[in-house]
This record gives sequence, C-alpha cells and structure tokens, in this order.
Amino acid sequence: MNQRSKCKVTIFHCINVFGDGDVLPVGDAENVAVNFVKMPCSSMVKDVFLLRAFEAGADVVAVLVCAEGACRYVEGNLRAKKRVAWVKALLDEIGLDGKRLVLFNVTAGDTPTAVEYIRKAYSLAAALGPSPAAGGCRPGVGKAG
Amino acid sequence: MKTESAGKLQQVLDGGGFAVTAECGPPRGTDPEIIRKKGELLRGCVDAVNVTDNQTAIVRMSSIAACAHLVAMGIEPVMQMVTRDRNRIALQSDIMGAYSLGIQNILCLSGDHQTFGSQPDALNVFDIDSMNLVHTVLTMREQGQDMSGYALKGAPQMFIGAAANPFADPFEYRVIRLAKKIEAGADFIQTQCVYNMERFKAWMHMAREEGLTEKVHILAGVTPMKSEGMAKYMANRVAGMDVPASLIKRMGGVPKEKAPEEGIKICLETIAELRDIQGVHGIHLMAIEWEDVVARIVSEAGLLPRP
Amino acid sequence: MIVGEQKPISEIKQIVAPYKKILILGCGTCVKTCFAGGDDEVAVLASALRLSCKAEGREIEIEEQTIERQCEDEFIQESARAVARNQAVLSLACGAGVQAMARRFATMPVLPGVNTTFMGVLEKPGLFTEECSGCGDCKLAIFGGVCPFTRCAKKLINGPCGGSQNGQCEVNPETDCAWHLIIERLKALGQMDNLRIYQPPKNWAASLSSGPRKLIREDHVI
Repeated sequence: MNQRSKCKVTIFHCINVFGDGDVLPVGDAENVAVNFVKMPCSSMVKDVFLLRAFEAGADVVAVLVCAEGACRYVEGNLRAKKRVAWVKALLDEIGLDGKRLVLFNVTAGDTPTAVEYIRKAYSLAAALGPSPAAGGCRPGVGKAG
Repeated sequence: MKTESAGKLQQVLDGGGFAVTAECGPPRGTDPEIIRKKGELLRGCVDAVNVTDNQTAIVRMSSIAACAHLVAMGIEPVMQMVTRDRNRIALQSDIMGAYSLGIQNILCLSGDHQTFGSQPDALNVFDIDSMNLVHTVLTMREQGQDMSGYALKGAPQMFIGAAANPFADPFEYRVIRLAKKIEAGADFIQTQCVYNMERFKAWMHMAREEGLTEKVHILAGVTPMKSEGMAKYMANRVAGMDVPASLIKRMGGVPKEKAPEEGIKICLETIAELRDIQGVHGIHLMAIEWEDVVARIVSEAGLLPRP
Repeated sequence: MIVGEQKPISEIKQIVAPYKKILILGCGTCVKTCFAGGDDEVAVLASALRLSCKAEGREIEIEEQTIERQCEDEFIQESARAVARNQAVLSLACGAGVQAMARRFATMPVLPGVNTTFMGVLEKPGLFTEECSGCGDCKLAIFGGVCPFTRCAKKLINGPCGGSQNGQCEVNPETDCAWHLIIERLKALGQMDNLRIYQPPKNWAASLSSGPRKLIREDHVI
C-alpha cells in the first residue's frame, strides 16, 4: 500500500557506472521506490526488459551506461543507446510517453554524477506523474524530488 | 523494307537533311484545343511534333489521342510510348491502332518511374523494356507479325525512334546500349538535353568509331532554360541530366528579366555547335511549357524554311 | 530468406480489437532473423500490447508462443493446444505462415501481425535487401548474379535507364543501380559481351502472373 504511494523508478546500469559500495540516493527520504538492475554491460538491456519494467509498475526507467568510447565491450553502450531510442518510440506509439525512458552516460567511478542522474530520474517521475499503465505517484506525493 | 509512303521526318532524315522536332505535352484534361494551339505554334517550323506519353508519370490525355488530333490538323506527330503502363498485349494493340489513325512515327521509351508522378501508389507494368518495344515495332513492320508470330492483316509501317542518354552512368556502357538499340531496330535516336557539350562530343566520337552514326539518325535534345532556378533544378533534381556549373553561372549572371534571353542565346549556340558534329542529323527541341519560343529558335538558328 | 516487418502497434491493436484473449504466435525461422516475428519480438509485442491496453483500461489476456515454422504442419501442431485456449491467433509469421495456420485451424481467426515484404539477404547487421522476386525463370547467369527483374525499378533487361548516376538508382538514391552492379560484376568476370546480346521479352508465364504456382515433387508424394 505504502509502495504505491511513491513514484516507482527502475534503474538499469552497467557495473562500470557505480559499484556495490557507492552510496546512492535510495529509501523513504527520496519518496521513491527504486529498483536497481545491475548488468555486466549495458548492451544487455533488451527492449523487452525495459517494457517489462514498465509492466511491473515503473513510472520512469533510466538506463545508466558508461561514457561513449569507454565500453569494455567496445560498442555495448552504443547498442544500449539505439535500443533505448527504439523503445522510446514504441512507448510513444502505445501512449506511454517515450520521455519516461531515459539514458545517461556516466564516466566510470564518477559517483556524484551517477547520483545526480538518479535524482534526475526521480524528479522526472515526479514531473510526469504516474504511468498510465501502472499508477505510480499519488496526488500530492513525491513532488519533493 | 521501309515505309512505302514515308513520313516527313523520315524523308528529311533519309534524304540527308537536318531534322527539327519539338515536344508537345498533352493536357491534364480532355480539351483538344490545347493540343491544337500547341500544334499551330509549331506548324511549319518543325518536321514532326513529339507527343509525350504521361510524362513524369502524371496522368494526361493519351499520346495516341493527342497525336490523332495533330494528324487531323495535317501535322506529323511522333508518338511516344512507354512500357511503364501497358503490357505487351496493350502496347501492340495501341501501336496498330495508332498506325490506323495515321501516326507514322513512334518513340519507344521505358517511361519515368511512377514514384515521380502524381500517383506513386500505382502498380507499374514493365512487362517488356524499351529495347523490346523497339524490336516489337520492327518485327511488326518488317515481318508483318505480332510478338506471337501471328501474321497481321496490315502491319504498322512505323519509323522507329528510341532514346539515349549520353550523360548517364556508366559512360562506357552508353555506346554499347546505343548499338543494341540500333540492332533492335531503332531508325532514329533522341538524346537527353545537351548542356555538357564536351561529354556529348565524347559520346558522339565513340558512336562514330563504332560506326553507329552510319546506321542511325541521331537527334540531339535541346532545351532552352528560362531562369537560373530552372538550370539549378535540372542540374540537381532531374536524374540523368548534366548541366555544367558554368552554364548555371551564366544564367545567374544576367538580371532575372533577361534570363530567358540568355537561355535562348545558349540554346542557339548549342544548336550551332551540334550542327557541326558529324553524325548529328537533327535536333529535338524540348521547350517545356514554352512552345511559343520554338519558332523563334528554329528561325534564328537558320533552320527555316522546313522542307 | 523471407523478410518482413512488424505492423505498427496501432494497426495491430485495431486487428485484435474484437478479442480479449489472444495468442501471439512467433515463427522461429525467416522472420526471426529479420527481427519481425521471432520469440524476442513476440515478447516485446506482448508486453507493448499489455501496456497499451492497460493504459487505456482495456482488458486483454495474451499468451505467447513461438514455433519453429508456421508454414509446416509438423510444427504448427505444436501450437494446437495454445490455439484452442484463445479467441484468436496473432501470427508474426510471413503471409505464407499466416495462411498455413488459417488452413490448419478452420474456426480460429488467424490475424497477421507482420507485413511480409520480400525475399532477401542480410547485407549487414540490421540491413536487409530485396534480391529475388521468385519469377520462376532465373536468368542470373547472364547478368553476373545480379537480378534486374527484381533490383531494377523498371525491370529493364537490356541495360540501365537514363537515370542511373554515380551508381545510384534514380527512384531511390539509397539503392544501388542494379545495372551499375551488373556492369561492374560482368567487367570483373570478363563477361561484358553478355550485354551486347539482345535480351528478348521476359517469359512471365512462370511467374505469379499465371496465378499461384504449385511445385510437385513426385518422389516425395505418398
């Protein structure tokens, strides 16, 4: 019950972007229910995973990938970028608004920037309101981000 | 065997003369007066009037009907026929029908692709290609047979034309293709508009070396430009057209109101140069929606009176 | 292989509108390779449809399955149970697969989710090109292995039209001029003389022009 009163954000990230020890903005203070999905490489964000995150109730899905040119698998983050663009168009087509899906490039080890982008995803969720396919933020809740 | 009573165009060309033809596009409607007006403008200053067949894939009055209106006025038409819209059954039927209406010249083309026209959603036909069409008319004329080998009761004795574009790629193949068209049965060839004289001369040189100018009458295409914009449009937007930058500059170098005069001047210079090229047996004037300039150009080029 | 493209979601939604319980059935051969109707595409389409319907407050229940080939009864049978559980099948196979399914399940609506586009080649990852139109009378030997009937927009068989420039087709500058390719290839093969020979009109009797064709291999018919 409490969960549904918060915005729901799912963050896919490659392990390059931040490590397990980094302090990330999570928890009640953020008024967001966040779900992190760690991947060995961002190229593993298949389109169906992104869609299923929305099916699971996400209002915003963010994909954090390493800086262009810095992928350990050479073109993993480029693939992620193209796939995100594809799914954004699909979201527009089905009336979910492609703006709910975002991609950020983060230099490996630059945790402050990663944190900033995560917060950006939160404020985006607050700004866009609940996903029409999920129901996320309740009125008056989650505007603080 | 050639036509017993050859048309004027054939007589001029076979008689070693320098032929002049001009283009006439049928209207997007049913009014024959438009054809007659264009015909009158061209009467006496050309040997034959070339009537387009739904050019640029825009639906217009049929070439056959427009040609028949010209025949009725005593003006000799060259009927363009494209393979885009009709299969071999319709093409042969229309060739016979056209001849029965007094149409003695045919120009065999594949036709502009329908994607450029007013109905890009149309199905194209291209059952046979332009080369096949040339050969079909030849077989009808020489063997008196249709494509199935059936002996016709009365065969179309048509003077057969085909197109050639010396400016399209690949250049080295262009003369091979010309040879093939002649082999297939072309009596005369109309070329794409000549602006790049150097390249045209190179093409003519190759044609002469292959002995092709002995076998076919080449009519060089000429189009007077009205403005710098038109020159640019043809250079950049019309596939297979080669307009050198120097000509565009020349058109742009005069005040706008003087541009048509400059275009006519360029056209006259082109014609003069073409007449000096061995193997060029005439010109085909394509004054697009500018039919009233034809008489003046032909006159100032010193090509009057027509035989 | 056969190349197809998934229909726009809006059209698919219209097609499945009368049904509340559908089976999205993928085909694991050609259309899988061109990302139109394999198991991945089934999953994406199912998810997108569910999201879209949920956003509109419309009820839909979607079952997902992919079989090896929808154009063969042997594989079609594997879908029989799932088909029976649903009100309609949205097939992501090519048109042949859709029709084979429709033939097998007489009372079940089988709907197309893919526009079948052509027989082609995977030129490079993500790029498919049309190469063959199945005319039934192959002349590739003359043309150096490049088909003018399919790859020339005007089906010219006696050389390029006047619109070929810089190796590009005038109809679509993104497309190579087939005749440019033919000439390059014949030059490389030392067979340019092929092009001096007049090619007579094509015999279209072997093509779809004569109506749908049948191939019978007597030795395989029991």
